Amino acid sequence: MIVDRVTSGMTTFAGFDRPSGPAGVRNYVAVLPLSVAASAVADAIADRAGENVHSTPHQMGTDPPKPAREQIERTLAGIGTNPNVGATLVVELGTESMDSDAVADTIAAADRPVEVINIRECGGTSASVEAGVETAERLWGGIASLKRTEQDASELVFGVECGGSDATSGIASNPVVGAACDRLVEDGGTASFSETPEFIGAEHILADRCQDDDLAERLLERVEFRESAAQLMGVDLRGAQPSPGNQEGGLTTIEEKSLGAIVKGGTTPIRGLVDYAESLPVGEGLVLMDTPGYDIESVVGKVAGGAQVIAFTTGRGSTTGNPIAPVIKVTGNPETAELLSSNMDIDVSTVLDGEPIASVGDRVYDLLLNVASGQRTAAERRRLEEFAINELQPNELAQLTENA
Amino acid sequence: MKGKILGNVGLRMSRADNVVTAINDVDAGTAIEYNGDEIELRESVPFGHKIALAKLRPGDEVLKYGEIIGQATEHIEPGEWVHTHNCKSTRGRGDIEDETEET
Amino acid sequence: MSSATDNRSVDPSELTFVGYRRNDAAIGVRNNVLVMPSVICSHIVADRIADTTENAVSVPHDHGCGQIGSDHEQTERTMINLSQNPNVAGTTVVGLGCEHLQSDDLAATIAEQDRPVCETEIQAAGGSEACIQEGSEATTELAETAAASERSENVLSELVVGVVSSDVDPSTRDVTDPLVGDLVTSLIEAGGHVIVTGTERLAAHSDTVGRRADDDQAAAALKAVADRSTARPGNVRNIAHRAADLPLDSLTRAWGDASVDEVIQYGEQAAVAQGLTLVDAPSRFEEAATALATAGASVIIHVTADGIPTGHPVVPVLKITGDRETASALATDIDIDARTADVDDVIRRLAAVAGGDRTAAERHGLTKFAISRIGPSL
Repeated sequence: MIVDRVTSGMTTFAGFDRPSGPAGVRNYVAVLPLSVAASAVADAIADRAGENVHSTPHQMGTDPPKPAREQIERTLAGIGTNPNVGATLVVELGTESMDSDAVADTIAAADRPVEVINIRECGGTSASVEAGVETAERLWGGIASLKRTEQDASELVFGVECGGSDATSGIASNPVVGAACDRLVEDGGTASFSETPEFIGAEHILADRCQDDDLAERLLERVEFRESAAQLMGVDLRGAQPSPGNQEGGLTTIEEKSLGAIVKGGTTPIRGLVDYAESLPVGEGLVLMDTPGYDIESVVGKVAGGAQVIAFTTGRGSTTGNPIAPVIKVTGNPETAELLSSNMDIDVSTVLDGEPIASVGDRVYDLLLNVASGQRTAAERRRLEEFAINELQPNELAQLTENA
Repeated sequence: MKGKILGNVGLRMSRADNVVTAINDVDAGTAIEYNGDEIELRESVPFGHKIALAKLRPGDEVLKYGEIIGQATEHIEPGEWVHTHNCKSTRGRGDIEDETEET
Repeated sequence: MSSATDNRSVDPSELTFVGYRRNDAAIGVRNNVLVMPSVICSHIVADRIADTTENAVSVPHDHGCGQIGSDHEQTERTMINLSQNPNVAGTTVVGLGCEHLQSDDLAATIAEQDRPVCETEIQAAGGSEACIQEGSEATTELAETAAASERSENVLSELVVGVVSSDVDPSTRDVTDPLVGDLVTSLIEAGGHVIVTGTERLAAHSDTVGRRADDDQAAAALKAVADRSTARPGNVRNIAHRAADLPLDSLTRAWGDASVDEVIQYGEQAAVAQGLTLVDAPSRFEEAATALATAGASVIIHVTADGIPTGHPVVPVLKITGDRETASALATDIDIDARTADVDDVIRRLAAVAGGDRTAAERHGLTKFAISRIGPSL
């Protein structure tokens, strides 16, 4: 655990050098199923190939429409090029319309070892699990001897998420995570938050912080698009936003939730806005990603965009993690901190007793650097690694073509 | 932390706010000092939930963080609990036709 | 290729199997406790609970959060009816606590259907480990009760069979669907109940699809399903495109000759006890299999030219292909080669699986559970 601010005057962490791009905070072999048809085999391979081999199960179909297919390929390639992934095994059935070569090529172009296993060519489930385990073990062998070395904090892309929110989220956990984001941006890194439906009611504040008018306009368009999803379904967005847990926790409206949610990114100017699973720029300050509010898909989007570490604030006590990036659970609700202590990483409810946000934010930043340097989070210790890819639906696809 | 605690029980995020957030479970009868007046809680309010500081009529804006978080749907007296039963969102209402969005 | 009028050596009303009789007289061919996460965030805990208990299976899915309106209802309906599948002896519902699909409400609804059910929640239990502990204890108790399930001998035609054809490839249309269609006809003639699906393929045929039903209500329901199919998620659009150029009879060959008696929604239970039920679900295997299971199928026949090998946690799946390459490349994952099998072969295989023989998918044990969605994530 190295957090060395003194000697060089720079903030550092201990990470894994990669052949290209920023350093990783973990060193995994990723097993990526190309479609739902290969997902169970990918899981079986990862289960048997050792604790450093992690799969990313999902439910994407074998033959999606083009824009949905592009998003899936982009997400998978993004996971394979995440700095925490040292090598990748792509698993396909063999009849998918998704292009495993395109995914593999993108990963190879980032100078990472990547192989593809085709279930049909292997001769079926059992044979491909066996071949996959052998390949995954070999890929692990190629990266196992990598050691952590001193890295500059500016190489970090820090994704922040809120889930299971309650009133303490906007008052305690989000502000302190925001303070940590400010520290990282000051040290030259990138911080990113997403969950676009949770900008509704607060988007004017974000728009004002955009570094230029074009960006502000794009942001407002994205918020409008997400809000109109409710219109598409002919329903009241309140059914999902705020959720029952949010409401029990004191959040009455989406506006209230959003105003409390946006502070998790800190106070620095917004430098950019990227699409779901699009690459997040390194060393660029605060950058937003347009994702649903649905946590698992949202975290996956940021990890596919290159985020090495995630901080996830929760009032009610979400226990989820991610297979590729460590997820730090931050709660400002003292009851949750106690009841779910084995699933939380830091209790920031001291804010409610008067501890200054900056001071608690510093502790979160220290924790970020320690986790980056190898300290395992609660979700990692319990291997809680949820994964889901956002699938574009026909009404969304129709809207895209209308607006094109 | 940002904001100011009123009467040991209610956190007000901004001076423009007309609600405070309970930082404990608060019993009915508890008093909060506000603008030289004393507001008495008319009902118990759970931790994290909101208490009205001002009188609100249906359609009035509810303000927290210095921003609009919703509209009152009922008459609300100071000291009353403010939540989904008397405060509604003005956004994301796909169930309402002819809605005017402000984006 | 045998036709429905040939004399058969195997009559489904004469073959028997020993099954599990549930309290609503449904007959199951497996006897598992279902560990059901109400939301994606509790699915790993559900998996771990199922792993620690014999005869428990989990149904991990990607939903329960960020869904509203008809999507939320669909997920809820699917879970409730899945708990009533004949192969399910009891259910443990596992929730997180803050999600829209609340685990305690779900468990209460299941209890109202007079099915053994327990419930546990991560936030209430005090964390994931505590929840795994609590859930495992509850599931073990349910499994012990399940072990005492009443068993009875039944004729094969009492088996509720689900059928999904997950593609419209030439081998499927020319070889496999006709074989399966003849099987379906045979089962229904013997008094059985078959559930079929794959409705997006009807989209271009809404004017003629009604003739697959004898009664007006069913005919209208068929037309309505065909009309709705134009706005469906994911890859189903591509099958719908291909199906537009294919004749209706070819697209529904796997449904046999019988007329459709009822059309039900995704996640709904079949109301009829005999005949042909159509459930409105895409041809995409994982989602279709769930729809068939919630409709009440205790065995599924999956027609696949691709050779999609995954099974389903609740229902044994028989994989059948007519594609030469698939039959050869995936020989250990395919149960029946439609190029050489006849209806009798399939009937006998069904009886064997009903009696406890494992399908190819059960042998490798890899399953996938998915629920169709209607709209975008929020």
